[in-house]
Amino acid sequence: MSIFTEEQNGTRHLLMGNEAIVRGAIEAGLDVAAGYPGTPSSEIIETLAKYAEKNNHYVEWSVNEKVALEVAAAGSFSGLRSLAVMKQPGLNVASDFLLHLSASGTRGPMVLLCADDPGALSSINEGETRFYARLMEIPLIEPGNFQEAKDMMKWAFELSEEIRNIVLVRTVTRLSHASGNVTLGERKESVGKAFFKNDGFILDPMEGSVMSAPVAYKHGEQQVKLKRCAEIFEKSPFNVYEGPVNPELLIITSSICDLYSKEAVSLLNAEKRVGILKLGTTFPLPPKLIEQYLAKADKILIVEEVLPFLEESIKVLAAELAPTIGAKQFFGKANGDIPMVNELNPDIVVTALSSILGIEYKEVDEEYKKRASEICFFGSPARETTFCPGCPHRASFFSINKNISMDNRSGFTCGDIGCYSMGMLPGGFSTLKTLHAMGSGTGLASGFGKMTKFGMEQPVVSVCGDSTFFHSAMPPLVNAIHNNSNLTMIVLDNSGTAMTGFQPHPGLEVDATGSEAPKIDIPSVCKGMGVNVEVCDPFDLAKTQETLFKFLESDGVNVLVLKQICALSPEKKGKKMFNMSIDDSVCLGGECGCNKMCTRVLSCPGLIWDRETEKSTINDVICIGCGVCASVCPSGAIKKEEA
Amino acid sequence: MKISGSNELLEQIQNNNLCVGCGACVGICPYFKAHKGKVAMTFSCDRTEGRCYAHCPGTETDYDVLANELFNKPYEEKPIGNYIKIYGAKAGEKAVNGSFQNGGTVTTLMKFAMEKGLIDSAVLTDSIDMIPDPQIVTKSDEIGNFSSTKYMASPTVSKFNEAIKMGHKKIGVVGTPCQMKAIGKIKSNPLDREEFKKPETFLIGLFCTWAVDTKNFIKLLESKTDISKIKSMDIPPPPAEVFILKTETEAIEIPLDDIRKIVPEGCSLCPDMTCEWADISVGAFEGRSGWNTLIVRTKKGEELINSAISEGYLTVEEFPDENVTHLTKGSVGKKKRGLAKREELMKSMDQNDNGSATAPSVVGFR
Repeated sequence: MSIFTEEQNGTRHLLMGNEAIVRGAIEAGLDVAAGYPGTPSSEIIETLAKYAEKNNHYVEWSVNEKVALEVAAAGSFSGLRSLAVMKQPGLNVASDFLLHLSASGTRGPMVLLCADDPGALSSINEGETRFYARLMEIPLIEPGNFQEAKDMMKWAFELSEEIRNIVLVRTVTRLSHASGNVTLGERKESVGKAFFKNDGFILDPMEGSVMSAPVAYKHGEQQVKLKRCAEIFEKSPFNVYEGPVNPELLIITSSICDLYSKEAVSLLNAEKRVGILKLGTTFPLPPKLIEQYLAKADKILIVEEVLPFLEESIKVLAAELAPTIGAKQFFGKANGDIPMVNELNPDIVVTALSSILGIEYKEVDEEYKKRASEICFFGSPARETTFCPGCPHRASFFSINKNISMDNRSGFTCGDIGCYSMGMLPGGFSTLKTLHAMGSGTGLASGFGKMTKFGMEQPVVSVCGDSTFFHSAMPPLVNAIHNNSNLTMIVLDNSGTAMTGFQPHPGLEVDATGSEAPKIDIPSVCKGMGVNVEVCDPFDLAKTQETLFKFLESDGVNVLVLKQICALSPEKKGKKMFNMSIDDSVCLGGECGCNKMCTRVLSCPGLIWDRETEKSTINDVICIGCGVCASVCPSGAIKKEEA
Repeated sequence: MKISGSNELLEQIQNNNLCVGCGACVGICPYFKAHKGKVAMTFSCDRTEGRCYAHCPGTETDYDVLANELFNKPYEEKPIGNYIKIYGAKAGEKAVNGSFQNGGTVTTLMKFAMEKGLIDSAVLTDSIDMIPDPQIVTKSDEIGNFSSTKYMASPTVSKFNEAIKMGHKKIGVVGTPCQMKAIGKIKSNPLDREEFKKPETFLIGLFCTWAVDTKNFIKLLESKTDISKIKSMDIPPPPAEVFILKTETEAIEIPLDDIRKIVPEGCSLCPDMTCEWADISVGAFEGRSGWNTLIVRTKKGEELINSAISEGYLTVEEFPDENVTHLTKGSVGKKKRGLAKREELMKSMDQNDNGSATAPSVVGFR
């Protein structure tokens, strides 16, 4: 019995935000879903893929987000209900197609689900999805709790069907990855039958050609659809007001910030003074609804994460409405009450509220606060973010860093997106010196490799993962080859999209649903591009370093594939390659000649520094027996034995 | 004398471009590595005292300690160092013929020392694709493969470190003044480590006015010819002022001024031309092609030379007084230049003193 395959209308379940989103899509009668993994969005496609066969859905992990949006759009053009799923940076990748799609319009209902990560809990940016709604002129809706995550997802498909354009649904980490109660609704039948009509009158939105031209005409049509949305949003049940009839202060908020606001008001016992207008439809804003609530209070606080998206739209409306509702005093990002970076929490809202309302608030007893901060600072051991025990990336970065240092020409490595982004940190020997978007490492390296013209003699290395290779590292590699750049590209192939949970990619023999799929071989692809390529096992430090030296010292573009499966992958978990042990009588410990090479430098969590004996030991519980530490031990104290 | 760690070594030597790539810090720990004539630190080490610092010929050195170790007396500040006798020398009739840079004295004596059991291993420098490649040799008939001058900085001392690690007890080394100074420091065992307790050595020092940076030298050679075709290299005596590359078909002359441009900064600080910290020192015999200048410095050196002469492995003749004068003049010149350069450097460091960097000083030499 699964809520993802059964009707179960009216039953109540504890669901993760992403599961609620999946159920919403299934209730809407979904047919097609495509996406690219990215925290906090990955569970959506994963769950849909798991039940795809039973539900007769087509679900895929696409090579990147742009292709995912295109695949989903094909579903819509064929009259099906379709969904594209990605994290915010993926929307940047997909945005080129989105601009054209939003102008051409859709046929079958189509939803784009984007997951933002304010505070960058699992990202290296806190990019915003919401501004894309304004830029692309498409409706944006934002669930504020778990029930809404399901209900609004279902409604998004209905809205798309009504306006015949794509609907953008935004979730955030704290909604997608937290859990709450959800009452299930009725499941609609899927469309199930695909046909792409294309021989009608060229401008017929349902039967003609699908395109964004003639531009002025299609653009105008698109804006009519948006006006229609604003009208629909005036009556939306997802825009909710809670509070006194005439509050002293009106909070306008959306998404997960609604929960933070409610908690803050409750902590301050300010329910009689503060009202909260929670908006589920954040673009376009329903002007009449906003007017109705703005009129109730003189002081307005906008609570939202990162950039002032709502704040600016509401201020524009308030300026237009000033003759009827009078002048308002606004609080939020502009006056500094709500920060413009990082995620929010109830404390931040409490601080803003207490200053606006003049309520004194002590979160905890002073003495307690002092003790707690002392204990946190001095009492907890410093723990660095690092790679898992036996991670092939640790071995790879060890070799890269060692070779670049020995090469002695101030060489450097351009990073990319994946677990291996941690190569920036001491745990990765601070090997990476640039870190931007997916594929950008090799793009930057392609550019750096041409700076020889201006006297740059530093060797250039780029790294990218296997999934990233297919996602967006192939075009910069082609660029580097064609433009005679000089670089060594290292593909850190750990046989899966490891960071987001081992989703398959085109380099593997399975697809999203676990069915057999043709695999694209990375070395063959590189060879096809006409570039020199070699494959090494990163655990074989000597061979890896020998090959890398050769590449660092040769001109042109060379590709080194470092292939070793992720230590946590389901195929490998629990299987030891070697049984490791340390001979105490040989271990030099902190002496000159070693100084804790294994525990201080290699820093694999599978190694423990014993403070009492001043020797290294193996943590048998978590050691996966990769054998790398035996290769770096200068005295041969670490032994490996075939397991 | 303060012994510091790798961070101070980097700060004082590497970061000031004073490393001459002798390899003294290489082969004792996993951090310092030599590659193509350069020594680099691969990962950081936070020890406050290390052999890397203690053994480096560029860091503070007590010359009295070195002199006591080798000559059993304090340092005497002589232009060509401590010596018992100077000869003109070349390989004797019993020595195997080979292609020698000059008289074949070094090869012959090292071979002789091993055959007589004075050493059980020899640290010598070969080259692979022109790049100096130091090796540990334990068979006397292989010693002949290492003749000819390399002209490039070589991490020879790293192999001395390795030979000790491998357990060799009597080690012969052929090296330049910086390398011999490092070996002297290693033998004084400044960190008092069990395995570095007095290995027996037989040290043949090579006269040196400078060495060149390996990578830059190869780049320069590559600009002149196909380096795989180079058969020999030589600097003819003054006033030629050229460096000669010989291939099978031609002799290419490179102005010495072009060569001097790629001498590592660290060499310009060196005050030692005749390789003072060795049992014997060998160089060219100016004005006598096919012969060497041989300076006998220690008792051990003297004994070996005497038996090599009596057994016909070495042919010697008196070294003319005017040549001694000439050699002394050259040595004084290098000392003056080296010390002046060091003073200049120390001054500039004092001026930029940010509170941490200190210039390496010389104790016992004024």
